Amino acid sequence: MPEYLALHYLYWKESEIVAKLLMDQLTKSYDNKTQAVKDFNLEVEDGEFIVFVGPSGCGKSTTLRMIAGLEDITSGTFSIDGKKMNDMEPKDRDIAMVFQNYALYPHMTVYENMAFSLKLKKMPKAEIKARVKNAAEILGLMDYLNRKPKALSGGQRQRVALGRAIVRDAKLFLMDEPLSNLDSKLRVQMRTEISKLHQRLKTTTIYVTHDQTEAMTMATRIVIMKDGVIQQVGTPKEVYDQPVNMFVAGFIGSPAMNFFPGRIEGDYFITGQTKLWIPTGALPEGQDKKEIVIGLRPEHISHTAHVDETTVSVKLDVVELMGSEYMVYGKLEDQPFVGRVEANIELEAGMVFPMAFDLEKARFFDPVTEERIK
Amino acid sequence: MRNKRNWKIEILGILLAILWLVPFYLMFVNSFKTKKEIFMDVTSPPEKWSFDNYITAFKELDFLQTLFNSLFITVTSVVLIIFFSAMAAYALSRAKSRISTVLFFLFVAAMLIPFQSVMIPLVTVFGQFEMLNRGGLIFMYIGFGASLSIFLYHGALNNIPRSLDEAARIDGANRWQIFWHIIFPMLKPITVTVAILNIIWIWNDYLLPSLVINKTGSETIPLKMFFFFGEYTKQWHLALAGLTLAILPVIIFYFFAQRSIIKGVSDGAIK
Repeated sequence: MPEYLALHYLYWKESEIVAKLLMDQLTKSYDNKTQAVKDFNLEVEDGEFIVFVGPSGCGKSTTLRMIAGLEDITSGTFSIDGKKMNDMEPKDRDIAMVFQNYALYPHMTVYENMAFSLKLKKMPKAEIKARVKNAAEILGLMDYLNRKPKALSGGQRQRVALGRAIVRDAKLFLMDEPLSNLDSKLRVQMRTEISKLHQRLKTTTIYVTHDQTEAMTMATRIVIMKDGVIQQVGTPKEVYDQPVNMFVAGFIGSPAMNFFPGRIEGDYFITGQTKLWIPTGALPEGQDKKEIVIGLRPEHISHTAHVDETTVSVKLDVVELMGSEYMVYGKLEDQPFVGRVEANIELEAGMVFPMAFDLEKARFFDPVTEERIK
Repeated sequence: MRNKRNWKIEILGILLAILWLVPFYLMFVNSFKTKKEIFMDVTSPPEKWSFDNYITAFKELDFLQTLFNSLFITVTSVVLIIFFSAMAAYALSRAKSRISTVLFFLFVAAMLIPFQSVMIPLVTVFGQFEMLNRGGLIFMYIGFGASLSIFLYHGALNNIPRSLDEAARIDGANRWQIFWHIIFPMLKPITVTVAILNIIWIWNDYLLPSLVINKTGSETIPLKMFFFFGEYTKQWHLALAGLTLAILPVIIFYFFAQRSIIKGVSDGAIK
């Protein structure tokens, strides 16, 4: 490819057109008995970074594989830019996918791995070279192009897998737990790299993970799934601050949200012998005398100097120093909880310590339906 | 301590090597002797190194034609066995249906059927189709070779993650391309094993060609060798010269292929 075309290509690459996806009542069932995914509805805008998150077996990977075309869609429609994709072959969907185990072709060099899809498209050699070089430069793989995957570290392999997706210029990137085979330090590093890559390429991306931290840090919107059903779709802030039910509340955030079952009496929350004051306006209306579950994040259970109606003296079972803060583990009326205390005081396990329960920040849940009461 | 042990192993190795080489030595030296000399003393070198035996054996065997027959039958059969078994095993390992399980066990079971029990009906059936010739022989070898080869390929294929197939599929490869560009190159160690096993078997096979090949000029080396062993006389001097000629191609093949055979076997590690 002549120089000017290569430059044109690079320019075009940076200002790429991206895709809009529509998933309408997608269902996946095996043998018409077990339903892996039920009634999945989602609209994805251009350039979004969507993360599917949930415990294993929740159907997130199955959904991704239906989008990729690796699994048949039992019912419902999936379309890209208004074009129905249900019966399209994966290669005709204009997608690229990154797998958990990298799925690099072991007998090919890094260059050949990245060039494979382009060769199949019968693209001119010069253009293949320009594209692979461009991807390798973005990912810092220039020095490894002639190596086989065997001779690369885990992080480098994952980068090659990303490179294989980048060269395709696909409308849609699919990533299936791409970081779970890496050690924790590398995982954090690759997380930022993938985010940067997305900011640069602006390609619509669907990313599957069971790690809520990845979901929170990378997503423009998170889709939380359980047992094949979407629980909530929202920005990281929305799902963290306004969880729709106890599952989402408990799944998003680390350490997880604490739950305390109890009863409402006027302005007070009663659990066992403990009585905690609920600031005016925090409690939804019409809950007086009702059984309720209060959800409180660890950062809202903290140390306080003055004792009032929001504090309880608690024996600390475990104290973990995280550097700038402590994670303290204790029990409120036999209900275990985690709190966060700033590390400017000395704490030890076994101490009895006044903790403030900031119920202004609490979320209230129905103990039967587990839905949030608004 | 360690040196002492190495030393013992070395002696053992040398003894084993001698044991292995003795037959070759006997074959080699006796191929230069006259028949009378062989019966007088088997172990000593010949009084006179003469190539007469070789010249006679070369002519008697119609060596070039016979060598071509053996090579043609072996190479074609092995290439086709690899071609079909690898693809069949791939299909059986990737399609997880009941039919494929049954088919796979049928192939495995076929390994247990003794050849002698099927040879007569086989030859009868092939005779009716006028396939008692080199082509028919190759066809039979594919059938008999497939079961073990499919079994070996199937085991190796189950260790290749499916995500590679899927990655290639998304990259735009069709099934044929997935298999030949991605999967088959990864099967190289098994392909080498399958090739060696089948080459040894087909190259040395006597019984099946003796039943199938009935036309002068189509015989393989083991078949032709039989002509030196008459009902009343055994022409050892010619037979040994012929045998030496016959193993030369194999030795030359191994000499050139050795490096890639060893590499093929040790390259096995996929991860």
